[in-house]
Amino acid sequence: MKTLAKCALVLGLAAAMVSCRKKTSEVTGPPVGQPGKPIVIGALFAVTGPASFLGAPEKKTAEMIVDQINAAGGVNGRLIQLIVKDTGGSPEKCISFTRQLIDENKVCAIIGPSTSGETMGIKNICETAKVPLVSCAAAEVIVNPVAKYVFKTPQKDSQAATWIFRTMKTMGIKKIGIVSGNTGFGKAGKNQLEKLAPEMGIEVLASEVYDKRATDLTDVLAKLKAKNVQAVVNWSIVPAQSIVAKNMKQIGLNVPLFQSHGFGNIKYVEQAGEAAEGTLFPGGRLLVVGSLPNGHPQKAVLEAYKTEYEDRYHEAVSTFGGHAYDAINIVVNAIRKAGSDDRDKIRDAIENTKGFVGTGGVFNFSPEDHNGLTLDAFEMLTVKNGKFELYRP
Amino acid sequence: MNTGKTAAGILLLTLLAVAVQVGASVSGRDYYLTQLTMAAYTAAVVMGLSLLVGYTGQISLGHAGFVAIGAYTSAFLSTAPLAHASGTALGKSLLRFHVLASRPELYGDGTVVSLAPGLAFLAGLLLAGLVAVGIGYPALRLHGHYLAMATLGFGLIVYRLVLGTAFLGAADGISSVPPLPILPGVACTGEPGQRIANYYIAAGFTLMVLLFLLNLTDSRTGRALRAIHGSERAAAATGIDTAAYKLKVFVLSAILAAAAGGLLTFYRGSIGPSDAGAMKSVRYVAMVAAGGMASVWGALVVGFVLTFLSLRGCFGSFDDAVFGVVLIVIMSFTPEGPFGPLRTLVVRFRARRRPALANGESEKEIPRVVA
Repeated sequence: MKTLAKCALVLGLAAAMVSCRKKTSEVTGPPVGQPGKPIVIGALFAVTGPASFLGAPEKKTAEMIVDQINAAGGVNGRLIQLIVKDTGGSPEKCISFTRQLIDENKVCAIIGPSTSGETMGIKNICETAKVPLVSCAAAEVIVNPVAKYVFKTPQKDSQAATWIFRTMKTMGIKKIGIVSGNTGFGKAGKNQLEKLAPEMGIEVLASEVYDKRATDLTDVLAKLKAKNVQAVVNWSIVPAQSIVAKNMKQIGLNVPLFQSHGFGNIKYVEQAGEAAEGTLFPGGRLLVVGSLPNGHPQKAVLEAYKTEYEDRYHEAVSTFGGHAYDAINIVVNAIRKAGSDDRDKIRDAIENTKGFVGTGGVFNFSPEDHNGLTLDAFEMLTVKNGKFELYRP
Repeated sequence: MNTGKTAAGILLLTLLAVAVQVGASVSGRDYYLTQLTMAAYTAAVVMGLSLLVGYTGQISLGHAGFVAIGAYTSAFLSTAPLAHASGTALGKSLLRFHVLASRPELYGDGTVVSLAPGLAFLAGLLLAGLVAVGIGYPALRLHGHYLAMATLGFGLIVYRLVLGTAFLGAADGISSVPPLPILPGVACTGEPGQRIANYYIAAGFTLMVLLFLLNLTDSRTGRALRAIHGSERAAAATGIDTAAYKLKVFVLSAILAAAAGGLLTFYRGSIGPSDAGAMKSVRYVAMVAAGGMASVWGALVVGFVLTFLSLRGCFGSFDDAVFGVVLIVIMSFTPEGPFGPLRTLVVRFRARRRPALANGESEKEIPRVVA
């Protein structure tokens, strides 16, 4: 009898797993019975896992925008169906899901993935399958060399680095130390900083890499202190950005701290507390909507996105969600302009996008530039009284 | 377990594999083959590990490290440009004999010359084998779970190395890995046109691993391994060179892991450090445990099904949680693996039908869990 029960259990488990096969992804999408076939767009976001701070707001944003577009009647008289796959930040799943979206769901374009590693894993797949991909990941290698079908919305690392060095020059800083995390983002930033420093007349006295999960960075910072650096640049993502600020105060390294554009989430400021005051970093204008002058081209877009997102989800808007806002809108606008959901026509329309005002800046794509942003996309920001503010020297 | 049964099992599985492909193609659902192919390679790693864990009682907590050695060696050697070589006379003759291979640049007009993918793949196997000997030789001469400790450290080291090495792509990994030619016109690659061929490459590889492992466990070596698992001292006392056997099995399972990792890399076209992570290793061991430890069949089925469903995205955002629950349920109710109760049921059923034999024959068959 017991054996029989166990058999039933095993078979039941197998049946349960097979039956849950249906729910393979979250679909935001038209109600059944609408006229015309929906336009299917795929999305790959790291909603869970170590990169969930990127993927979660990206997914929420993309779903919100698609709901809004469908409520307004869709595109070209057709509704949009968004198929979101949670990659968990795993390149293996990302590859599997990309093939699913392309072969099975027959999507006309893909937005995401959230991280650079995942994007590089599928860059060739999208290129050979001729499916437009608008990535929400930062690394420059995604669009350099340019792949015909691959685009990205976040600003370039080199632009962020240039902003940092420019600000240093106005402050008279000549000798710096770099610390960076061992992630794709940290690696790309370190490379750009080290490449651009000599051109900008700045000397890098030390460049240290630390583990992304490190909880104490006094050792690497002590090395920088011993070299008498005039400023520290940290290039990483959570949570080291807060730790660097705190540890610098603890060991008495009282020089300006520059962070990357990855600092653009008020949570890091809260975690670092007092120590974050005065931190400088290049960031998109989404974080300082309130202090933008009226009439700034991006002001209306940013305000609308911020209010809608915060009303719907009851959490602060972040730069990363903004990348998805730009990606989905660029794709939808391209579909509108192409007048069809043909992959090649959409690709051409994306490449010809000019003057699109997004959260990251004003996008002008071209065959040579699949990022479409200029230095102007960034502002230098600082932390004052626990809030982000425009930096004015 | 006799040869007839094994042959029947393999034959059935082969037929099933063909039926799945034909069914998928006829119904226009070819796309399932992508995940089936990837799951088959993972199942091969799990089977190799089950030989080590289940039959010698040694645990490797660093198997993702061996997968990564196979994967990264294949990826690195087949992509690293040897530009200067193509100009020299030596380089030209090497090209002619397919020691080197040239391919067009994906995002440019030029061509790149690198080591032939087949040789890169073999180099991965060799390296994994050598590393396994290096770790296993000292660790396996000791009694107790020293191998688990050594491999845990090894796995972490491999992860750190690939994450910190610039020429291995650091955090980005290596992408644009070229296809691995197998027969004229057939290559191990993710190209949609080669999907059916690749499904059979993966299925063939996995079936060969299965056949090999079943034969091995049913041989003199297999009996020696089981004796070691039962009691190492008793085994040694009967004249079995325990250290040598354990080392052989460890090296073998490392090479199998590297082979599966290499083929999977050519299929995926890229490799990243997260494939070498400690959590991956834990997953492999967990799948072996859920398969019933000493059951090659159980390892195959559990490794294959769980990986397939995970890659299909069946568990959505709850992937790890569902995986954990399945493990807990299997471990607490049928620790002998999902086939344990089924097997017992079949044995009892037969015993009832042939009461005359019940005392003598079936006694032997009742669950010595060997699969």
